[in-house]
Amino acid sequence: MSSSLLKAFALRLWTSLLVLVGVSILIFCIARVIPGDPARIALGPDASEDQVIQLRERLHLNEPLPVQYLEFVRNFAAGDLGMSLYTRRPVTTDIGSFLPATLELVFLAGLLVAAIGIPVGVLAARYRDRGIDHVVRLLALLGVVTPSFVWAILLMLIFAFFAELLPVAGRLSEGVAPPPTIVGMYTIDALIAGQWTTFLDAARHMVLPGLALALSGIGQIARMTRASVAETYAAPYIEMAQAYGFPERRIASRYALRPAMIPTLTILGLDFANMLGAAFLVEQVFAWPGLARYGVQAILHKDLNAIVGVVLIVSAFFLIVNILVDMAIAWLNPRIRLEPRRAM
Amino acid sequence: MKKQLINQTATAMAAMLALASPAMAQTILRLDEVAVGELDPAKALDVGDSVLMFNAYDTLVIANQGKPGVGPHLAKSWTVDGTTFTFTLRDDVTFHSGNKMTASDVVFSFNRMVDMGQGLSHLFRGHVKSVEATDDHTVVFQLGQPYAPFLTALTRLPILDSKTVKGNTGPGNFGDNGDYGQAFLSKNDAGSGAYRVTSHNPQEQTEFGKFTGYFLNVPDTAPDQVRMRYSLEGATVRTLMTRGEHDISSQWLVPDIMRAMARDRNMQLLSEAGTGAFTIKLNTQLPPLDDVHCRRALAHAVDYKSLLSLVKITDEVAQGRPANGPLPVGTLGFNPDLPYPVQDMKKAQDELKQCRHDPKANKITISWIAEVPLEERFALLMQANFQQLGFTTEILRMPWALYNERVTKVETTPHIGQLFVRPAVPDPDAMLYNTYHSSVRGTYHAAQWLKDAEVDRLLDEGRKTVDQAKREQIYRDVSARLVELQPNIFAFDTQTVYIARKNVSAPPLQDPSQAYSQATVNLMFRNMAVK
Repeated sequence: MSSSLLKAFALRLWTSLLVLVGVSILIFCIARVIPGDPARIALGPDASEDQVIQLRERLHLNEPLPVQYLEFVRNFAAGDLGMSLYTRRPVTTDIGSFLPATLELVFLAGLLVAAIGIPVGVLAARYRDRGIDHVVRLLALLGVVTPSFVWAILLMLIFAFFAELLPVAGRLSEGVAPPPTIVGMYTIDALIAGQWTTFLDAARHMVLPGLALALSGIGQIARMTRASVAETYAAPYIEMAQAYGFPERRIASRYALRPAMIPTLTILGLDFANMLGAAFLVEQVFAWPGLARYGVQAILHKDLNAIVGVVLIVSAFFLIVNILVDMAIAWLNPRIRLEPRRAM
Repeated sequence: MKKQLINQTATAMAAMLALASPAMAQTILRLDEVAVGELDPAKALDVGDSVLMFNAYDTLVIANQGKPGVGPHLAKSWTVDGTTFTFTLRDDVTFHSGNKMTASDVVFSFNRMVDMGQGLSHLFRGHVKSVEATDDHTVVFQLGQPYAPFLTALTRLPILDSKTVKGNTGPGNFGDNGDYGQAFLSKNDAGSGAYRVTSHNPQEQTEFGKFTGYFLNVPDTAPDQVRMRYSLEGATVRTLMTRGEHDISSQWLVPDIMRAMARDRNMQLLSEAGTGAFTIKLNTQLPPLDDVHCRRALAHAVDYKSLLSLVKITDEVAQGRPANGPLPVGTLGFNPDLPYPVQDMKKAQDELKQCRHDPKANKITISWIAEVPLEERFALLMQANFQQLGFTTEILRMPWALYNERVTKVETTPHIGQLFVRPAVPDPDAMLYNTYHSSVRGTYHAAQWLKDAEVDRLLDEGRKTVDQAKREQIYRDVSARLVELQPNIFAFDTQTVYIARKNVSAPPLQDPSQAYSQATVNLMFRNMAVK
């Protein structure tokens, strides 16, 4: 990695940190202006006023906002995000237990988006305006316009309700013990532990939610890749390569796809990060015990600590993915690599 | 020869497995609840929390089956002397840890609940002056003043194994008691219930195993393992149950899904009656509903038949049945003399004539809770009914948190709110005091903002009167007074309905003579059987 690229990377990290601080202040304030007294909601309507007052004091809710925020920063620095009023456990424990489940799902969905969307897009571009292109366009549009939760219900109906081919809820079947926790993702933990039955069972449970989450992204990436590759195919240097009689596969993979990947990668990165938040309905339908479902429940229960914790994690993930995408784009495009400040 | 040997060995192994399987087969019961379950019994509030509590823990007294009131459980008997309650405990109760239950566990459990100040601790706070273990099997509760619901309140005092909790305390705000074992009890149980918690993931499920050392006889047909799942979508529950991977739905499945599932020959409907009500709350302080005649006009205009048809599941089973007042049938103090309301537009018009407000001058806001889509249908029905009287109405969709906020001030409380009420304990006080007494206005229970000296007097009287016959009359009088004041439209008594696979039997949910008089106690796994 060149020194200019390293410098650009460091700059991106620094600005990301500032963004995270900004997000933390923003969400801290927003969470507190959502209607409803968190202490009253947590304790129920029958709780006496002094019980509510006590809990408000324990949560520092009577302090001015800046004081509350400083208290939050102090605890955060010590690795403490407070207690969740919804699950009544430390928020860090909740995030630690729910995040790997969502990440596992999102990684699979991201993989499916890239592995299916890009080749299908290239295929459509290669056979532009022919039958295969029309079919891909139709399927891609169907993927893009149909929300994930509709896919979730449809997939459940077809593969679980009628065909009973795949499991419908949770991460493992009854009687299958979770693998020893290493990273919290059952498929990876099972592989590390050499538990093949558990791995297969966990993988089967991921198929439907992973596909439901990925279908919209697959359509989008296929469309984007098709447009970019088609544009590249129209470039004079491709025409020259064809005139020189270079093999078609070489032209597609080396000369057409690489420059065409820049916009695709950008969208892929955004899609990938978005999926972490958008996984809620899919997690809800497939009873997937993930962070997205936890985050929405936290908002509905006005669980201040959990809201802030989840938003910070999602934001951090979003920023990390964007940095990685930027790095990948810089690697793909020498012009960006050579002018990091302007491009990044 | 080799092939033959392999075949013989395989046949022998298959035969061994076939012989062994009936003995090894574990019966599993799977049910679900919408909200995550709180495992620490001192924090238990909702349905899910209560189901966990009633199965993993025991209480001194338990709701009676087939009749109101409570009977002995961990306490084999008790005496009442004014404000002193003396309980004699059973000596054969063992906690899941193997420790024997003693009176000191009762004292510890009580102090823990009150000190922590969460869950249903308000049932005891301010009412109990002291609690003392006079010997290993005697506990004396001294009340500050007469408090008639005390015995029924004890159905919500789960008894913990104090040795286990004390051995698992972490740092906390409770002096020598540290965190009172809160961190430990959020993942483990320390009870004596018929089922012990084997794992708990608050967003996924809680797993139970049958406790073989339970002090009461638990039939062999009771499930060996139970999985209580959380936050399942209706479509998911339907798919799981159709595939035979789930046994009992939560009560929150919408009637449409229940109706569709009830047509499946493998399914049955289970129900629990007399434990709650659906009430339509009228803000008695905002014009035009500050005039009792306008409130009565609305009550006469409601199409009760259509309202009930919205919760009908089959011709025989519905999630509600007609109500004639604030207390459901079967509750102590239920007043059978009160008339059941029906839609009567003529009476509605007559009442409206006596109302000092012009119906067109004040818009009526009808709220519904965003998380309960069924309430939108009720709101639309009411809108249609009230418009016939000339009222202009606005329907407000409110998330639960927002509704909680709005009802804290009289001027932001909607004219009409909707609430499904399930009292925590089987006592009329739990249903009425927190809803109609003027000292507790401004909560989602008390969104009517009622202020009536007669109601206050009767409710205070009901709290102090220990004599059951006198108490019954007091609550009949309260019911009559409330019907007269009409701070509510008494829509219907709720009938909690679950859909279950036919391989499950749950007598308290099938036979009214075996039903407990307290919500969720009917979901004790030890009374169920799985084939």
